[in-house]
Amino acid sequence: MQPLLHLDNVSKRYGAVRVLDGIDITVADNEFLTILGPSGSGKTTILRIIGGFEGIDGGRLMFEGRDLSAVPINRRPFNTVFQDYALFHHMTVAENVGYGLKVRGRPKAEIAERVAEVLDTVGLGTLGGRYPALMSGGQRQRVALARAIICEPRLILLDEPLSALDVELRAQMQRFLKSLQRRLGIAFVFITHDQEEAIALSDRIIVVNRGRIEQEGAPEELYRRPRTPFTASFLGDNNLIPGRLAAVDGRLCTVDTAAGRLDATVDGPAPAPGSAVLLAVRPEHVRLDADPAARDGLPADVADVRFLGANVMIELLTPALPGAVIKVRRLADGAVAGLRPGASVRLGWAADDAALLQAAP
Amino acid sequence: MKQKAPCLDALLGLVAGLGLIALYAPLLATGALSFFQIVRVRGTLGFAPFSLDPYVALLANGEILAALSTSLVVATVSSLLALVLALMFAFYFVSARRGLGIAMQIMVFLPFLLPPIITGLSLLIAFREIDLGRGLVTIIIAHVVFIVPVVYRTVLVRLQLLGSSLTEASLDLGASRVQTLRYVILPQLRPALISGVLLAFAISFDETLITLFVAGSQTTLPIRLWAMMRVGFVPEINALATLIFLCTAAITFAIGLMQRAGERV
Ligand SMILES: Nc1ncnc2c1ncn2[C@@H]1O[C@H](COP(=O)(O)OP(=O)(O)OP(=O)(O)O)[C@@H](O)[C@H]1O
Ligand SMILES: [Mg+2]
Repeated sequence: MQPLLHLDNVSKRYGAVRVLDGIDITVADNEFLTILGPSGSGKTTILRIIGGFEGIDGGRLMFEGRDLSAVPINRRPFNTVFQDYALFHHMTVAENVGYGLKVRGRPKAEIAERVAEVLDTVGLGTLGGRYPALMSGGQRQRVALARAIICEPRLILLDEPLSALDVELRAQMQRFLKSLQRRLGIAFVFITHDQEEAIALSDRIIVVNRGRIEQEGAPEELYRRPRTPFTASFLGDNNLIPGRLAAVDGRLCTVDTAAGRLDATVDGPAPAPGSAVLLAVRPEHVRLDADPAARDGLPADVADVRFLGANVMIELLTPALPGAVIKVRRLADGAVAGLRPGASVRLGWAADDAALLQAAP
Repeated sequence: MKQKAPCLDALLGLVAGLGLIALYAPLLATGALSFFQIVRVRGTLGFAPFSLDPYVALLANGEILAALSTSLVVATVSSLLALVLALMFAFYFVSARRGLGIAMQIMVFLPFLLPPIITGLSLLIAFREIDLGRGLVTIIIAHVVFIVPVVYRTVLVRLQLLGSSLTEASLDLGASRVQTLRYVILPQLRPALISGVLLAFAISFDETLITLFVAGSQTTLPIRLWAMMRVGFVPEINALATLIFLCTAAITFAIGLMQRAGERV
């Protein structure tokens, strides 16, 4: 099926700095796509290219098979929710929201009707007469959303729209955004540097780093099966253990590490035996045995126990892996209640929970 | 840091107060003298009782009224023309390449910064070269050249503060460039536009030196006043000066209000 939008091998330079390097992104109809990456990775640049605010230095930008390069901002069937909202402060909320219809020359009565409808949709039913300056951050956010959806674009671009909100409001707006997207059936391209937010909202996540795509996939897939060290450590926590690939048998691999031979599983094509690899193990997948009689696994000492509410994060030092801190996450229940720094334990994991990654070159 | 020597405070207050008195005493004197004329009674000087005679005489003085109306026409037309030009220059500056913008800016500012006598002389020579007879038109051109920088500066500051995000938002919502200008940019600039025009109006209204070069047979109010003073003092002058002072004060007050309004947006 033809994608709604396709960034085909897009590159962008600012002066001598290459900000985007051969980016390939497709957006499907009705999809909630998140572009996730650290600060400066090029997320905003991608969005500005789609919106038409920036040109490109290489590649193509296609919308339903048509090249968009020559289409100016105001003719692209997308609308943007800006990071700072960019509301018109000399207009009331209703005038802000109705702006897209007004400049299209729609009759006043129709505009008023649609504005009322859309304000209802975003939960601002009675606030049409207010000026944005007199509203809270969350309300302004909703005005910006309403303004973007009123013209029924095929795609909405959102640049870190929630980053200015406090935690409580943020969670609430996340739920609202997700349900709004489902109800409207419009594709959302959402930018964030917050991996939890990305996981909670998206149908699909594209991880970008330094102007390149690291990996893309469904949130669960990215979380369970990271393929690059960057993805492994950027999406949630991971213990990364360096080693050299010794042998591959189907999905099962053996890796030579400082702690001896360890097993791991690989998704997709395995690297060549002998190449430098990393084992990635989630903190929640590390087994921990405090029984002094236990003989399985690597001996380790508890360095720190941090209480995080429902969870505890335990940090272990093991002589087998000098310099490495192994993080372990456990439910804060009786099983870990007695654990104190200095205690001796044994740690291990199932081969299935250790993902094999190609080490960064 | 809040702790300050009280005697230093008092001293500062005293100096500031004396400064203000020195600045405003002549104005107050002029105002007072427009209502209470000095008269000589049996060889000694004294004040006449309160009277509005100078104001009545002013209204009857056809020459002054004609000069006043010329000045008003010049100030109005030239400040509106300056507004249009300043807007164009300001838009150019924020959109053009940096070097070109700065070059343009220097050209805009130069006539304002040069000694008026140089600006006036250059204009005079230029008008002669192109055979433009001196009169209302040349006065207006000269004033526009002189006040554009003032409006330009006021507008540019506001425009730069505005940044590009509102323009982008407007285009993103499907507006054309012209619609964006009309519905978003100009309303956002309005306080700056009004205060720029008022300021330009006030400057144009009392510009004398450059005007002298290019006025030809036309007479603006400052030139009229100047001429009257040379011939001899008449009480109308006090009345006129008082009126001009009050108008200028009102304009200044309005500019202050506009700038407050601008900050709030
Ligand atoms: N107009 C510009 N001129 C020069 N360099 C720029 C410009 N805009 C962005 N950059 C650079 O391009 C890179 C990517 O910027 P971009 O704004 O896309 O990052 P981002 O992922 O959105 O970051 P953040 O999360 O901080 O918003 C950065 O290194 C930035 O310094
Ligand atoms: Mg950004």
